[in-house]
Amino acid sequence: MDNIVLLVVLPLLAAFLMPVVARSSEVVARTLGLSVLFISIGIILNVWSQSGQIDSQAVSIVIGGFLPPLGINFYVDQISLFFALAVPVMVLLFWPWHRATSIREYSLMMLLTASASGLILSGDLFNIYVFYELLGIASYSLVAIQGRVSAVAASFRYLLMGSVGSVMMLLGIAIIYTQTGTLNLAHLSLLAPEKLNNMLGLASFALILTGMGVKAELFPVNSWVPEVYGSVSSNLAALMAGLLSKLAVIVIVRLLILLFPQPEALQLMGMLGILGVLTGELVAWRSRDFVRMLSFSSIGQLGLIFLAFSIPGEMGMMAGIAIALHHMLVKPALFMLATGWRGAVENLSGVARRSPFVVLLFIVLILSLLGIPPLPGFWAKYLLMVGLSSQDGFIYTLGMIIVPLAMVIEMAYLFKIVMIMYRKDNDEPAVNNSNIVDDSNIVDDSNIKVVQKHSKWGLAIAASVAAMLIAIVLQLQPASDKLLSLANQLSDRNYYISTVFPQIHTVRMQSIK
Amino acid sequence: MSVLDDLLLFTALASVAIIVLRRFAFISKFSVVVYVLATVLLIKMSALGYGGEAVYSSFTVNVLGQVLQWRFDALSWFFALITLVVALFTALFMSGAWGDKYRKEHSKEAYGLLQVALILNVLSMLVLLASGDLLSLFIGWELVSWASFMMMALNPDKVARKAAIKYIVYAMAGAMAILMAIAMTYNMTGSLDYVQVMQGMAQLNNSQIAVLVSLYAIGFGIKMGVIPFHLWQATAYAETPGAGAVFMGAISARMGLYALILVIVQIIGLTRVAAIEIPYTFLDMQNALAWVGALTTIIPTYIALKQNDARYLLAWHGVGQGGYMLLGVMIADSIGTAGGIMHVFNYATYQAALFMTVTAVIYRTGTSNFSKLGGLVTQMPLTFMVMVVSIIGLAGIPPMNGFVSKWLIYRALLLDGQPLLFVAAVIGTLGTILSVYKLVHNTFLGQLRLEHQDVREAPLSMLIPMLGLAIIIFATGVMPGVVLDWVAAAQIAIGIAPVEHNLGGIELVQGGLNMIWVTGVMFYGFAVGAIIFYFLGGKSKHIHQYDNYAGGHFLTSKVRYHYSNHFYAGLMHLIGGWYRNIFIKLEYALVSLVSFMSQLSENFYRSSQPAMLVAAIVMLALWYIMSADGSAPVLVQGLQGGMSK
Repeated sequence: MDNIVLLVVLPLLAAFLMPVVARSSEVVARTLGLSVLFISIGIILNVWSQSGQIDSQAVSIVIGGFLPPLGINFYVDQISLFFALAVPVMVLLFWPWHRATSIREYSLMMLLTASASGLILSGDLFNIYVFYELLGIASYSLVAIQGRVSAVAASFRYLLMGSVGSVMMLLGIAIIYTQTGTLNLAHLSLLAPEKLNNMLGLASFALILTGMGVKAELFPVNSWVPEVYGSVSSNLAALMAGLLSKLAVIVIVRLLILLFPQPEALQLMGMLGILGVLTGELVAWRSRDFVRMLSFSSIGQLGLIFLAFSIPGEMGMMAGIAIALHHMLVKPALFMLATGWRGAVENLSGVARRSPFVVLLFIVLILSLLGIPPLPGFWAKYLLMVGLSSQDGFIYTLGMIIVPLAMVIEMAYLFKIVMIMYRKDNDEPAVNNSNIVDDSNIVDDSNIKVVQKHSKWGLAIAASVAAMLIAIVLQLQPASDKLLSLANQLSDRNYYISTVFPQIHTVRMQSIK
Repeated sequence: MSVLDDLLLFTALASVAIIVLRRFAFISKFSVVVYVLATVLLIKMSALGYGGEAVYSSFTVNVLGQVLQWRFDALSWFFALITLVVALFTALFMSGAWGDKYRKEHSKEAYGLLQVALILNVLSMLVLLASGDLLSLFIGWELVSWASFMMMALNPDKVARKAAIKYIVYAMAGAMAILMAIAMTYNMTGSLDYVQVMQGMAQLNNSQIAVLVSLYAIGFGIKMGVIPFHLWQATAYAETPGAGAVFMGAISARMGLYALILVIVQIIGLTRVAAIEIPYTFLDMQNALAWVGALTTIIPTYIALKQNDARYLLAWHGVGQGGYMLLGVMIADSIGTAGGIMHVFNYATYQAALFMTVTAVIYRTGTSNFSKLGGLVTQMPLTFMVMVVSIIGLAGIPPMNGFVSKWLIYRALLLDGQPLLFVAAVIGTLGTILSVYKLVHNTFLGQLRLEHQDVREAPLSMLIPMLGLAIIIFATGVMPGVVLDWVAAAQIAIGIAPVEHNLGGIELVQGGLNMIWVTGVMFYGFAVGAIIFYFLGGKSKHIHQYDNYAGGHFLTSKVRYHYSNHFYAGLMHLIGGWYRNIFIKLEYALVSLVSFMSQLSENFYRSSQPAMLVAAIVMLALWYIMSADGSAPVLVQGLQGGMSK
């Protein structure tokens, strides 16, 4: 169990060692990086199989022998273990194989892995901040290293946004520290009801939300999204939209549950979520570029996730987790399909004739994204709608109206693309668009006629995602049970506290007796 | 395994088989066999049509605390019967010459996809009709929507594509309204099972009911194409490839009526709906819905009057006829609902027949444009006959079946004391009569065009289903009791007193209807006329098709004259000013609004200094939060304390 720590340590080590090793042998360096990922996956699978009780019993791992609240700890429950597994798996899936890149990119990928794992596992605010910063540095550099002028510009925008965000987050953490004198989440959670349940606590939540929200594509701090996704390779975009945004969301939700009991915090998040859905889908409706459209749709979906998590109670938690996991599956698959379809959507005319199978995959994925029954996306939307309608209050009523509208808009633009794909060739002249991005490493902005071939790997990913969606439909009952247990574990404050401080639990039990 | 299991499983397996085998030539015969077998399975459940107990599927799914289940009651059985019979006739129609031509003009794959779309539509409709709770209803609903979309999208033309995308946007909006309503129903009543929801509805107050009814009505109404959601339907159905249009036009939109009857009439109950007064009007909600139905009979029918293409004219009529059904159901007495439900059957038969005749004309001449047709009666007499029988049904004239259901609706309106609605319905019927005359005149009457002199009668494979439908139209017109049996059973299932009927028609104290007598008297009259003209020396003279006058001038047979352009010029002079395209403008305004909002949002994402903007906003907000609360000094004190140390 304790070797969970290796999930952070090994990739971090590899990140710093790889450039050094590469000086003598590049092959060894590359193997080093990949083997670390495989080892991480092995560790988690081992933990999962060894202690079957992780499903029912969370574990707090104390690091260095100092007990919390003074020492630092990793908190491992179902959801964090799941994401800890998802990090190396997805990094491996979206590894920049085909790019003739320098060892630096690999090294940055390792840094990303380490910080992402650390972020989801950390049990105290300070480490969360540190890993968040590391994650930021890794992702700014990964965007900038893509070698295109537009990518550098996008990266700079991203950097500005992210830096302002992390300053705010630091300020928020500072406020919490001045109020409570501790940074351990479990300890904070004990103190929160009396010390943070005020306007100051709300302010610190707003600050942390803004800071973490940059990665989570939260409404006012997400204007980097379209530029960045539009200028990086599809692999990196898939990783950022699929994984990193969800990590940030889960951390925000964890902080929200543990530290901020006030309903205003939920409402703030819900409101920003609604604005995200509305603006994201509306802009996507207008965009004429396939990848930009996917980026804005991603903003919209993240807005839905925030809205879902802002619903108090079990229903909201289940809806949030369901939409998050669903989006985590579907969006990377869509970005993989986008590899071959970059550029203006008008250029996709007649694609269905040339590659009918790929278009069919695309349709299955977007149907699930739209929430068409019986695909899994529908059950997530259903939970969201039931959750929203179970609450009184302006925000939730507004959400109840905005979410269906957003879905209609999303359907309109996604199926406009499908209709273009099924158009006969030469029906209408293709638009010459200079804003076309090539997925290879060529630094060349000339008018490349789009519709290149999809990589087999990307197609395989997309196809397996579609197969997974259908498998979930066939296994609806177990899937919904699993979702319920995830939601219960994530939303239980006392459970978290008693896992980290077993003695408090026993003391409480005794006092009850 | 119940019979319902067999039916659903069989249809599902047949869909898979048709998807796999779609490129083979025998697929057309195969699909006919499939629909025959499915109909046989349905007939095995025919006890439902005569008041039998509901049939439950043994298959259930537990998900998220809900139990999804499927069942058939008399109402579902009635709709399923119509669906399968129409599908059978459609499959017959496309199995022969029409299918061969379609294969040749497009491809084997295109024809196969048409078969796939047909079976998927049938399967999804059966799933919808079999739904046993609101969640499975929604699943079936969405499946039907997307299956229809697939059927429409098979036509690769630009107009058809646009119509299909417009349809699916409307359908999605409707589905979202239903999803909202279902979520609210769940929270208000604590369940989604029909029986429990029905019990839970009793506890709700009027405003809750009003919200639910509006949302459900919008959702189901969009599918039916009622005012003001009528714009999508006609183009979408008209542009569906020939045989597909037959099926879609006849039954697809009726799924909206089924769900509306199920949810608003059966589960919520019209007495609850009638108790809701709409402020600032003299209407209650039930009357408002009835008026929506009445307006739906009028406006689309008069739009149909202006169409210059036979397919569009029929499709617009389909929208209008939906209004009669809604109107009938919303009267809520046993006669009105019987009329509304029966009209679904009658409408399906004559609409399918009409679309078949138009498709046959297109098959032979290549067009359905009125200005390129005319005089075909000499070339295609049997097709003409089928069209005449069907338009008599559509116009609601005895002895065809359309008369019976419309009579029921009129009768119920009069008995219910609704003279204004009655007048509205009559205005709608007037428009129907005018436009069906336009249809038959511009296609079949007048002088034959030169290029159509070699046109022959429609091939036998197309004539057989057409004639079959014509026989059904006539037979159920003479003996409406056959259909009324099923309708009465459906009425019991939805909790309304069944209509008193016998084989010939309705038994009613205030004056019933016996179609056997009506038909007998009519034919007696015809017989008397025929005897007078042919045997007792009455004057009759055979006139050649080209022997006519125009504006008093005799035209030689070299000048072909057929009056089809600007038909009803005099009438249009009177009512032309009423066509103002209000709904098209409304739709346009909505799209513009979305576009405007979208540009506003885009401005945000294009701003050059987003970080600074956000930082400034957050800082201002924080300053506000902290100054509004007394806790701000604490922070300052804490910091000062730290410094002093």
